[in-house]
Amino acid sequence: MTPARTALVAGALACALLPGCKIVPNPDPESDAAAAPMDDDQRMALQAAQIFDERLPAYVQDHVVDAATLRAALADGLDTAGTAHGIRPGSEGSPWNFVLRAEGQVVEADRESRAASMVLDSNGDGQGDLTVQLGPVIRGTALRDALDFLIFTDFRDQIEFAKLARALNDQAHQRLALPEGNLVGRSFTVEGAMTLPSVDEPWVVVPIALSEVAP
Amino acid sequence: MKLNRRLMISAFGLSLAIAMPGFASAEGLIAIITPSHDNPFFKAEAVGAEARAKELGYETVVMVHDDDPNKQSELFGTAIARGAAAIILDNAGADATVAAVQRAKDAGIPSFLIDREIKESGIAVSQIVSNNYQGAQLGAEEFVKLMGEEGQYAELLGREADTNAGIRSSGYHDIIDQYPDMEMVAQQTANWSQTEAYTVMETMLQAHPDIKGVISGNDTMAMGAWAALEAAGRTDVMVVGFDGSNDVRDSIKAGGIKATVLQPAYRQAQLAVEQADQYLKTGSTGVEEKQLMDCVLINGDNAEQLETFALSE
Repeated sequence: MTPARTALVAGALACALLPGCKIVPNPDPESDAAAAPMDDDQRMALQAAQIFDERLPAYVQDHVVDAATLRAALADGLDTAGTAHGIRPGSEGSPWNFVLRAEGQVVEADRESRAASMVLDSNGDGQGDLTVQLGPVIRGTALRDALDFLIFTDFRDQIEFAKLARALNDQAHQRLALPEGNLVGRSFTVEGAMTLPSVDEPWVVVPIALSEVAP
Repeated sequence: MKLNRRLMISAFGLSLAIAMPGFASAEGLIAIITPSHDNPFFKAEAVGAEARAKELGYETVVMVHDDDPNKQSELFGTAIARGAAAIILDNAGADATVAAVQRAKDAGIPSFLIDREIKESGIAVSQIVSNNYQGAQLGAEEFVKLMGEEGQYAELLGREADTNAGIRSSGYHDIIDQYPDMEMVAQQTANWSQTEAYTVMETMLQAHPDIKGVISGNDTMAMGAWAALEAAGRTDVMVVGFDGSNDVRDSIKAGGIKATVLQPAYRQAQLAVEQADQYLKTGSTGVEEKQLMDCVLINGDNAEQLETFALSE
């Protein structure tokens, strides 16, 4: 046994006799562990970024429904459409959430507001029918609630769960690449999450991916 | 003194437990434990749970812990001593309650929590809470609209030990803080209490006479604040509450308080009993432990439909 190891064992033994004593390795100053412990916001921000990087692409592919398909399904009622295409937590009274893909021309845009948005005409009737939240302030918890692998029971409390919703919205905003200038008249493809409490509720999505369609 | 009282309660519980079988119902006893019924919200929970339990063939015992974790612990002792089949609980603190629920679990009694969470999962069978974040955002959006997106306002916070106080406040601010002309000049706890809110509101008014709105973490505090504002002749101040009580409904209809957010408290309590019943009969509730129930904005448009924490169609 090397002297160093002997010292370690002796130390460990001594520690075993001293309640409250614990061997804590010195953190590697280069690693994340050297940083101060993360608070709720930081942990949820990290988790949100990981979700976007690692889970969202496959999840969207599995769950996305085309706007036209969803519109047709909704004609048979929200529960029918939801059962076929939606995601809903198990608790009573929870609204349906959808991962939607739509393409349309911008008929209205507000880039000045903190809660910036644009309205697309996704069914070609010349009327706006789909609001895309551009942020930085993005409202609601549609994105979190549309991800069926995020289970409330797995979180410490509502506060932590709400912070994750907020962090996901922040990621959605940060990852948007919007062209400069006036958006009205341009066409976009958007994939995003929305909550639909009733059939006649307006469609408002949190964008997961947004790209301009070449004119 | 305290020990004596506890012994007496246990002795009482034991004698009841022995006496019970004579008139015990087929399905067993459900203990319903909530904060004080002084707040109609908790009364509605107790009434809702009791009614559903009786419909399902259970005997019930209704008890209140007055937000005192020690008293709550004694009540758990009583429930255990009486051999309750299940406990329906609106708890006395997210941290302090973990041990009590664990004690019941160790005694083979499942707990079904409503309204307030505890900071552990895997101990209670169900934790059914209102979607306070969603509800608070609804209330805040209405508040901002009422304020014309600008002006000084005050916030009344709930009891700090209760997660619901924190989550509602963060829901409020996630909306209100987006408006640069909304200025919070005072933020203080009134511990969910009507009388405390009255006093706090009086002091806030003296310090900030230009206040234009008050957003409150619950309805009893909103009622207290409104009474103080009325007494000071400041009925121009916009007050928004949270809960959906009949008191606030009546105030809205009379042009007093402007809005509140309905928590489906009555249904929530009934649902907890239904899950308890299913769990006792099948060993599973069939749903996740922690469940969120969405809230609904109440203002002049729909106040008429509100009755005892439920909205008629």
